[in-house]
Amino acid sequence: MPEITYREAVRDAMVEEMRRDETVFLLGEDIGTYGGAFGVSAGMLAEFGPERVRETPISELGIVGAAAGAAMVGMKPIAEIMFMDFILLALEPLMNQAAKARYMFGGKATVPMVVRMPGGSGTGAAAQHSQSLESILMHIPGIKVVAPSTPYDAKGLLISAIRDRNPVCFVEHKLLYKVKGEVPTGEYTIPLGVADIKHAGTDITVVTSGIMVQKSLAVAQKLSQEGISVEVVDLRTLRPLDTKTIIASVKKTGKLLVVHEAVKTGGWAGEIMAVVSESEAFDHLDAPMRRLAGKDVPIPYNRFLEAAAVPQENDIEAEIRAMVANKY
Amino acid sequence: MTTWKKEEFDNLETTNVLKKSEELGLSHEQLVEMYRTMVKVRLFEEMADKQYALGKVHGTMHLSAGQEAVAVGAGFAVNKGDYLLNHHRGHGHFIASGADVNKMMAEFLGKDTGYCRGRGGSMHIADVTANNLGANGIVGGGLQLAVGVGLAIQMKKTDQIVLTIFGDGASNEGIFHESLNMAAIWDLPILYLCENNQYGMSANVTRVSAKTPFKGRAAGYGIPGYYIDGNDVLAVYEFVHKAAQNAREGKGPVLVEAQTYRYFGHSKSDRNLYRSKEEIEYWKTVEDPIVRFGKLLLEAGLLTEQKIEEIHAEMNNEIEESVKFAENSPEPDVNDVMEWVYA
Amino acid sequence: MPTPFIMPKMDMDQEYVTITNWLKKEGEWINKGEPVIEVETDKIASEIEAPESGILAGILYHANEEAPVTKVVAYILKEGETLESAPSSDQGKTPVAQTPSQDLNQAETSKQDVSATPLAKKVSADLGVPLDQVTPSGSKVTRRDVEAFADNMKEVVTPRVCVPATPAARSLAAQRGVSLEDVVGSGPRGRVQAKDVPMKAAVSEPVAPEPVAATIPLVGKRKRIAERLTASYQSTPHIYLTVEVDMSAAESARKRINQMADKKGQPTVSMTAFLAKIVAWALTRHPKLNASLQTDRIELLEAINIGIATAIDDGLIVPVIHGIDKLGLREISECLGYLTRQARNGALTAAEVAEGTFTISNLGMYGISSFTAIINPPQSAILAVGGLVRKPVVIDENDTIAVRPMMNMTLGADHRVVDGADAAAFLADLVKALEAPEFILY
Repeated sequence: MPEITYREAVRDAMVEEMRRDETVFLLGEDIGTYGGAFGVSAGMLAEFGPERVRETPISELGIVGAAAGAAMVGMKPIAEIMFMDFILLALEPLMNQAAKARYMFGGKATVPMVVRMPGGSGTGAAAQHSQSLESILMHIPGIKVVAPSTPYDAKGLLISAIRDRNPVCFVEHKLLYKVKGEVPTGEYTIPLGVADIKHAGTDITVVTSGIMVQKSLAVAQKLSQEGISVEVVDLRTLRPLDTKTIIASVKKTGKLLVVHEAVKTGGWAGEIMAVVSESEAFDHLDAPMRRLAGKDVPIPYNRFLEAAAVPQENDIEAEIRAMVANKY
Repeated sequence: MTTWKKEEFDNLETTNVLKKSEELGLSHEQLVEMYRTMVKVRLFEEMADKQYALGKVHGTMHLSAGQEAVAVGAGFAVNKGDYLLNHHRGHGHFIASGADVNKMMAEFLGKDTGYCRGRGGSMHIADVTANNLGANGIVGGGLQLAVGVGLAIQMKKTDQIVLTIFGDGASNEGIFHESLNMAAIWDLPILYLCENNQYGMSANVTRVSAKTPFKGRAAGYGIPGYYIDGNDVLAVYEFVHKAAQNAREGKGPVLVEAQTYRYFGHSKSDRNLYRSKEEIEYWKTVEDPIVRFGKLLLEAGLLTEQKIEEIHAEMNNEIEESVKFAENSPEPDVNDVMEWVYA
Repeated sequence: MPTPFIMPKMDMDQEYVTITNWLKKEGEWINKGEPVIEVETDKIASEIEAPESGILAGILYHANEEAPVTKVVAYILKEGETLESAPSSDQGKTPVAQTPSQDLNQAETSKQDVSATPLAKKVSADLGVPLDQVTPSGSKVTRRDVEAFADNMKEVVTPRVCVPATPAARSLAAQRGVSLEDVVGSGPRGRVQAKDVPMKAAVSEPVAPEPVAATIPLVGKRKRIAERLTASYQSTPHIYLTVEVDMSAAESARKRINQMADKKGQPTVSMTAFLAKIVAWALTRHPKLNASLQTDRIELLEAINIGIATAIDDGLIVPVIHGIDKLGLREISECLGYLTRQARNGALTAAEVAEGTFTISNLGMYGISSFTAIINPPQSAILAVGGLVRKPVVIDENDTIAVRPMMNMTLGADHRVVDGADAAAFLADLVKALEAPEFILY
């Protein structure tokens, strides 16, 4: 299998789907000649032309609103929001229109659209270009939220997201764009709502997603040499949650650590814990469930401060060690 | 406070329906049908108010009595198959586009036989299969959906247009500008119909808008803009029809601002503290769109007093039947509360 | 149709008012705007005026009852109207369609029959509370009395488990028939982990052959008390310092506070609460007495959490008032009252007995004048308090003798943490504060 980057995997998925289905089209800021702020759509304008690689004004509300309208009448738009932070300008069409149209109108509307958005810190882009806002998106019924952690998952999940009949928010971590991995050429899909055990283990379950999967995997591999057996569950889809896989894993290990970059307060780690607490896995817990999340702070600019604001590998390692040793 | 500016209207007042209808290519039957539809809208709204008073309505509602000429003039000026995206004072637009009042009344009473099977209510009536993409509870919410629908039409190369109806209030939302800009740069087939009823809830339009009429804003986006008498149903028909043609021919969007007035309060909690009884009375008598059109039809000999009475009785009957239909309809099954969140 | 007399809403979030008095009787003529009902909310007392003129009838809520706001509490009849035509919606109760005079008679009779409000009767029936067992807080049994009684019944029936254990350990213990009380936990704060739960319940030791009057099995709480005290006594070098303090000023201050509290209808303050407040203040000035000895260091603790040793049926328990230095006297008193009740009912939670940083043990009520106590590790001190004894003492430099309420306090301190001088300075501050409490109370 060829090794390609996460960025290329996302592009491959879009290109393949646009070749296959002419109702699929792209819209967003600077996605044409420029190739998108992160170069994801580079080269696509040449193949598909300006109508299907539709460059928009700087108008996030406009991009997402137009995507929703087009989706309601049979198109399958893929909207790119340049930085996830800017989705806040477009929450109205996303949450009040796209998410609710089907339900409000008695099941008669479908809104098949994808909103792609790079999120996360680590690039020195500071407070308004570095957020992980997926918890906000997860709060709205009617929307699906996907956050792939590897090139393989990115392609398979994006193809599924494009073919899905619902609005899907597709969260790409900026630091993952250059990560390489094996990706098959040609079509394959990964179903939405199915988590993936990226590293099997028996001592503790780490539930995570996106960039934190990569970090947790590095820690799991290191600790396995000391006989500490960590199970890393990559959620892949944040809504709908694969509660079955989470519950089964916690029943096996008796300990749960949730890791995410999004800030702790109101973050989705709380949701994962609630799922476990309400399930039969509760009786298998042998320690308090813990979460390692972004600090409750806007992402700072300085590289050391920035790194201190979100979980790093050594934080994950320390937390796992403490939990396995019954320190809490 | 008088905020409408008759002298600024771009239309000439309709004084002779025979002459005007000939210009517009409307048959005499169509004129009577327009009158009949206006009466139907009025009676629907009055019945809605009555149902509310009787405690049969669970939520609130926003009634369009007084604005019938806008709904009917526009509804008759577009084609079947054109898309409609309107606002939450939208009963009239649906009726004018040929909606079934039984299903509307059922939705209003939250019944399973309603257009949205009781999930939407008065503010969210839609009939997606008939290209009525829904009334919107968010002020200005439909404006940007219209851009997407316009894009889809352009890409599919059909000869449809989007009629999006919004109010004076929505014109001050940012979405108004984002929508007009996008539609203009891409020449999308969108007809922006601003239904200016002079009040955004209690806020008088001149108090909250830097410059009126709103048609002036069209120039900022390089598109045509018109300010017309929204209580003159044939004037509305004329300008909406003209704008629709423009859009259909690929010449891009048009903004039409129709000046009108709402009789009821904003919603049921409104006690009309912000406007005078005299003002409301003036509009209800001198400017009433149904009275004005009826008078012209009488003068032209297309209607008689007796015929007018018959139309009222006939429409009244239809609306009463809709209430019976709604009342006899089942409530939605609560076990289905989670249905249709996802496709 | 009779005009409904609706109890107006006077405040946001308000649901009920208490009717303290009807200024008019049923059958009486009332004029619009004239005060008819006296009511009390939790904030204010107020008069409710008649919304219309007419004859007052169909009173649905009587004096000392709580009435829901925005609901009908009575009706106003026009000439010739009767209650039968009253609408049945929008009211908390159904009106009794009787002539006003009959209704009045009935209300009078019921007052003499049973000493409970009608609402209390209804609530007692709903909750299954035997009304004759409820002690009224005022002249009649009220709904609040019934609810408080019902709450107490609940507490007695279902005492809460206090042994800390993980959910996995709990389910294992249940499966294996092991009592968690008997398991020594290896987790933090003694929490029982899954691996601590033995395969089956330990077989109890054979009973000693000599005849005994009664046996108390050394298990559970009793066993833990024994283990802990032994460990502390054997491993902690205790020093003891005793002072005698003149409690006249403290007693009179407490008396004044309680007179004030009585007037406001608030609960009174016990001597223990009073003492705890002053000890908390002294601890802020002497951090070594609020410290914890670890293997390699002494930790001076930020939080001041005073445990109050409390005797219960099967031993001793030390509920903790957390962050006591941040609490006012009234809050301390309320907190202590609550904890003592919980202790007596065996309903203390793990958190309510955890993380004490200093302990007060008061045996004054048993007539003990002075005693020494064993420190609760890892705390560094404990204060043993004796009873007040009125005795003659010299009160000034002229050797004047007067009878004063005197009290002994013995501080037990861990000598590894606290030097004799530290302990003495702490006691000196305590004495100073008890003899002039206004300095710290205001």
